Amino acid sequence: MTALHRPVLWLALAILGLPLAAGAAPPTSVDGVPIDPEAELVVALTDDTTNLDPRIGMGSIRSNYIRQIFESLVDVDRQGRPVPGLALSWKPVNDLTWEFVLRRGVTFHDGEPFNADTVLFNLDRMFRKNLDKWGIKDVAAGTAFDKVYPFVTRWEKVDDYTVRVHTSEPSATLWDFLGREPLVPRAWTIKHGVEALNDKPVGTGPWKLVAWKRKDHMAFERNDGYWGGPTLAKRLRLQVIPEAAARIAALRAGQVHLVEAVPPLDAEVLGKTSTIRVASSVQKLACRIYLNGRTKDAYESGGKDGAFADPRVRMALNLAVNREAIIAKIFHGLALANASPVATVAYGYAAQPPYPYDPARAKALLAEAGVSAAQPLTLQLLLPAKHYGQAFDETVGAVVEMLKAVGVQVTVQTLDFGTLLQTLTKGTLPPNGGFAACRTSNNLDADDFVRDWATTTLVNWTPYPPELLALYQSTRRQVDAKKRLAALAELQQRVRDWAPVVSLYQEKKAYAHSARVLQFVPTQELNMDFRGVALRR
Amino acid sequence: MRAFLLRRLVHAVFVVWGVVTVVFFLVRLTGDPAALLVDATATREEVERARQALGLDRPLLVQYAEFLRAAPLGDFGVSLRERRPAMGMVLEHFWPATAQLALAALVLAVVLPIPLGVIAATHRNGALDHASRLGSLFLQSMPSFWLGLMLILLFAVALGGLLPAFGSGTLSHLILPALTLAAAPLAQNVRLIRAGMLEVLQEDYVRTARAKGLAERGVVYRHALRNAAGPFLTVSGLSLGFMLSGTIVIETVFSWPGMGRLIVQAVPGRDFPVIQAAVFLFAILFVAVNLVVDVLQGLLDPRARVFGDGA
Repeated sequence: MTALHRPVLWLALAILGLPLAAGAAPPTSVDGVPIDPEAELVVALTDDTTNLDPRIGMGSIRSNYIRQIFESLVDVDRQGRPVPGLALSWKPVNDLTWEFVLRRGVTFHDGEPFNADTVLFNLDRMFRKNLDKWGIKDVAAGTAFDKVYPFVTRWEKVDDYTVRVHTSEPSATLWDFLGREPLVPRAWTIKHGVEALNDKPVGTGPWKLVAWKRKDHMAFERNDGYWGGPTLAKRLRLQVIPEAAARIAALRAGQVHLVEAVPPLDAEVLGKTSTIRVASSVQKLACRIYLNGRTKDAYESGGKDGAFADPRVRMALNLAVNREAIIAKIFHGLALANASPVATVAYGYAAQPPYPYDPARAKALLAEAGVSAAQPLTLQLLLPAKHYGQAFDETVGAVVEMLKAVGVQVTVQTLDFGTLLQTLTKGTLPPNGGFAACRTSNNLDADDFVRDWATTTLVNWTPYPPELLALYQSTRRQVDAKKRLAALAELQQRVRDWAPVVSLYQEKKAYAHSARVLQFVPTQELNMDFRGVALRR
Repeated sequence: MRAFLLRRLVHAVFVVWGVVTVVFFLVRLTGDPAALLVDATATREEVERARQALGLDRPLLVQYAEFLRAAPLGDFGVSLRERRPAMGMVLEHFWPATAQLALAALVLAVVLPIPLGVIAATHRNGALDHASRLGSLFLQSMPSFWLGLMLILLFAVALGGLLPAFGSGTLSHLILPALTLAAAPLAQNVRLIRAGMLEVLQEDYVRTARAKGLAERGVVYRHALRNAAGPFLTVSGLSLGFMLSGTIVIETVFSWPGMGRLIVQAVPGRDFPVIQAAVFLFAILFVAVNLVVDVLQGLLDPRARVFGDGA
């Protein structure tokens, strides 16, 4: 069994383990503890979603809502591993074709059957094909599949429960980037229009949307016909409480059962409270300082070399950062240092030696690269304050002082996130510019992370040199899983040494819940999963 | 009176037009929303396509002409973030959530200061006056954000869930946010009434009224308060602006699903249609309330009449 086919093994194990008893009565106890299957689970989230159509985007806020209603071909287990969702299995049938075998007997909340036609319709939407044929509008999509994955050429129905997707070049990660996209109903969407997906849509998921009071709450009811067995609470309420202190107060008052995004210091305090439990999980959110390392012949360089084109300079900046101190003092342990460009919880991650905190070596490297008192290194750092949270802002402040300590002249320009994106879109980052930002992923595979320096994306200010680009491209085309993992590991090691960004930290997200809540396990994905969560009677 | 009202209505149209026009161009100066609608890992082509899909690639004056044609009909376009009619979203959040909260706070801030300010003035330098002044100072100097959290901790946590910590829909949900929102203007109004009353109570006509043997209650409330209320009334009208903008913070603390949070997210998200619709509504409300205040002032004090005698 190759590593690529490990997901298939997990699928099989999951199928055996899953209670495939749609319509069965929910249990009344968990591990001998009586639970209330008629209860309402109230969860406090930081924000409301602005829409529910998966095509518009699957960011961290949207995902929490969308994935309760809609499901994708590939699901994720509590350890973050791919398991069967709406597809029972997936495999390459040759170098240029993937085959998905679909789950039978699944219906959307309105009774519409899920089958190969559903998948073809969704692929048409993703790749903007046949929209006129279906009579539906296009939407301004978060991910333009036709641009990002132009090698996906066509898709076909083999039978009602088998779909094949063809590519013009081998694609090792097709199961991931197509398989993780939530699927909407075909007939319902054609009948009601794509706009209706933003109002009260139907999916195949464990929860049926009952009511949505915008900026306030979304109410769900158990989908009794769910293929994965009944959920352990009858109702779910996702309550928006933007302010962290108010979320925690609501938890303490017993008015919500579970809260997300607990600030690190509060997590420490709450952990000592007998009636409250704290849980955390490593997330894919990687926070970094991106540097202008575009050479003058690169796109949008303005004819000037970026001040950070020399890898020694970027490595020096990495060595100047004391990550251990940041994680201990600012995050109280709720973050981790990761020198790999890939999140530690992504498929294909290969651990890399951490960047040591070595200011002396940093200064030496800068001197080697020609930085001196006469020719100092300056960095105009753009900081989207209050966008990623207080800990991020504090971290950047600390890092600025650390960089100054090795002689880098840093000026910080605080701006709103929209202005930062506009600067990056226009390509007007100054030659000595950089920006602090975090990126996450909706995919399981490492490819989404290592793609950052391969195309003209907003975050790519240090494009791969030709040899790394070639290595990256080989990881995308290598269908043999073992060889691909080896290539990915080599790429990560070389990217770590090439240091395109100043790696800051990878987030651990903290949750707090009442002791009544049983079996809550935070996922490593962008969404929370309430399928196995129960409330003690 | 009718001529005055007509004149003010014409003024109001120009004020509202001016405000929304300034906002139309100002929000566009803040930048392009297209990049906010795609992933950070999106390509330049994806951003450009999003811009075209939203019609933001058209010349600015064409967009403004389109805006001027549609806005008077209440059509401010579709929210860039939620893909729903912007004015519908604004109204949905304004009524009942923001209207309830602002009105409840306005009532508290206008009604309570009258007895409190009068008592403080009539008991000058007494214990009640000191308590009133100290309380006002305390409420005015306390950030509403912090006050809200303290009230939540007291009433929702320490007192065993006496009042809900978040949400809307019932009277019990309204109490804490309305109190928090009203705190600062209430304290300010107490001080205004007290100061006005202290001044008026020294006037000759008050002494005359007392000399004629009128009951003290009638002297204070019928004669003195009526003349002391002018600045209080003006400030109360302006308070509505504070109430509407103040809801932004209060709604965040209490998870109140009103316009404040809608605007807070629309501004950094550069959701132009929503910002424009919200400003339009705010401008109309503000102009209308101040018109009412002008009329009320004239009714209370003929010297302040701006609509002429016998109108």
